[in-house]
Amino acid sequence: MSELDPRIHQVLDGELPLERLPPELQATVLRLERAAGLLRAAPAPGSVTGPVLAALRRPRGSRGRRLFRWLTGRHAVTIAMRPVWSLAVAAVLAAVVLVPTHGAGPLLGAQEGIAQFVGHFPGARSVDVVGPFTDWRSGVIPLRDDNDDGVWSAVVVLPAGAHEYMFVVDGERWIADPLAGRYVSDGFGRQNALLIVRPAGR
Amino acid sequence: MRPLALVLLAVAAPLGAQMGGGGGANARARLAGRVPEAAIAAVDSLVRAAQADDLPTEPLVQKALEGAAKHAPPGRIVEAVAAHADQLRQARTLLERSGGPPPTAAEISSVAAAMVRGLPPPLAERIVAALPDEPPGPALHAVADLAGHGFAEDAAVDLIVAAARVGLRGLRLLDVATAAVHELQRGATHGEALASVRRALPDVPSPPKPSPDQVNRARRPHPGV
Repeated sequence: MSELDPRIHQVLDGELPLERLPPELQATVLRLERAAGLLRAAPAPGSVTGPVLAALRRPRGSRGRRLFRWLTGRHAVTIAMRPVWSLAVAAVLAAVVLVPTHGAGPLLGAQEGIAQFVGHFPGARSVDVVGPFTDWRSGVIPLRDDNDDGVWSAVVVLPAGAHEYMFVVDGERWIADPLAGRYVSDGFGRQNALLIVRPAGR
Repeated sequence: MRPLALVLLAVAAPLGAQMGGGGGANARARLAGRVPEAAIAAVDSLVRAAQADDLPTEPLVQKALEGAAKHAPPGRIVEAVAAHADQLRQARTLLERSGGPPPTAAEISSVAAAMVRGLPPPLAERIVAALPDEPPGPALHAVADLAGHGFAEDAAVDLIVAAARVGLRGLRLLDVATAAVHELQRGATHGEALASVRRALPDVPSPPKPSPDQVNRARRPHPGV
């Protein structure tokens, strides 16, 4: 802003007659007085009280309408989170999606049960359990020795009832389960182990 | 033939053979390639005879497959199948003599399986007659369990029949035998073990149910694959 000549201030304050000023300063004083006149003539700004009160008195509507308005209106949603927590949340979500659940075992029928076969065969390369439930074929139910401690095991779904079975070690040695507790003659000069499977639901 | 049809046939044929009881052409198809050729005709003839007699045939097919898997000579396989057919007939006769409706294939197989454990037919008949409303398999196996541990057969039958009369049914009868065997393992004599279990009836412990972990780990065998 340019500074006004002090003589203009004196004229505007009534301390100096206008005529004492040079003509260019007189023109400035006249412009200023016209502007002041315009400001005095401008209408006074209206009060904001009225519109605010009107807005406050407007009925709020039902809870459902307000909820609908809130849901359909636009809002800025901000989640403030430390980066380390956002990484943790991402890891948890990835684990839920990618890691297989262990609760998805076989669905058991009303007349089915669980049979667990366990045998101690140190040094064996393979152990299978065979019986009518495998058509006496090897390779259908291989036992596993995950710890290499010679203890081989398998858990199998079988129909409830009595089942004869034998272990086949290394594909050639047929052995009746020494822990079975029940045995029957197989008609070929040996004994089969006998397992009685209970329905799992009982 | 389209690949899908071939796959369906491969899946359905062994399944159908099992569900169909193994009789007739199905039995022959299941034996072919596994049972020595020299035994197949005789085994097939025994299976057909059993089928004509309304006997279960699947145990006979299984006996032939078992013999072949164990590398038994053809003659031995046929003998074993014939002996098993006789056991099935004996089991059915026993069930028919005890009265009631005609026995099912499952009942016949169950009684035959218990009798193969060495139960004399008169003893088995006594159990079946004493428990006319019971499926006979579990009671027979319970008596066989006791006899297998040196209990006198008559005393074993008495205990199982007593257990049934106080309300124990089906596989719970096996728990009675197990309880008596546990008494033996704790040092009781056979007489003491029987008396102790009889006093406790009907309170004999049940075996634990499979854990969720066991159920989740369990696999279903697919012998036809």
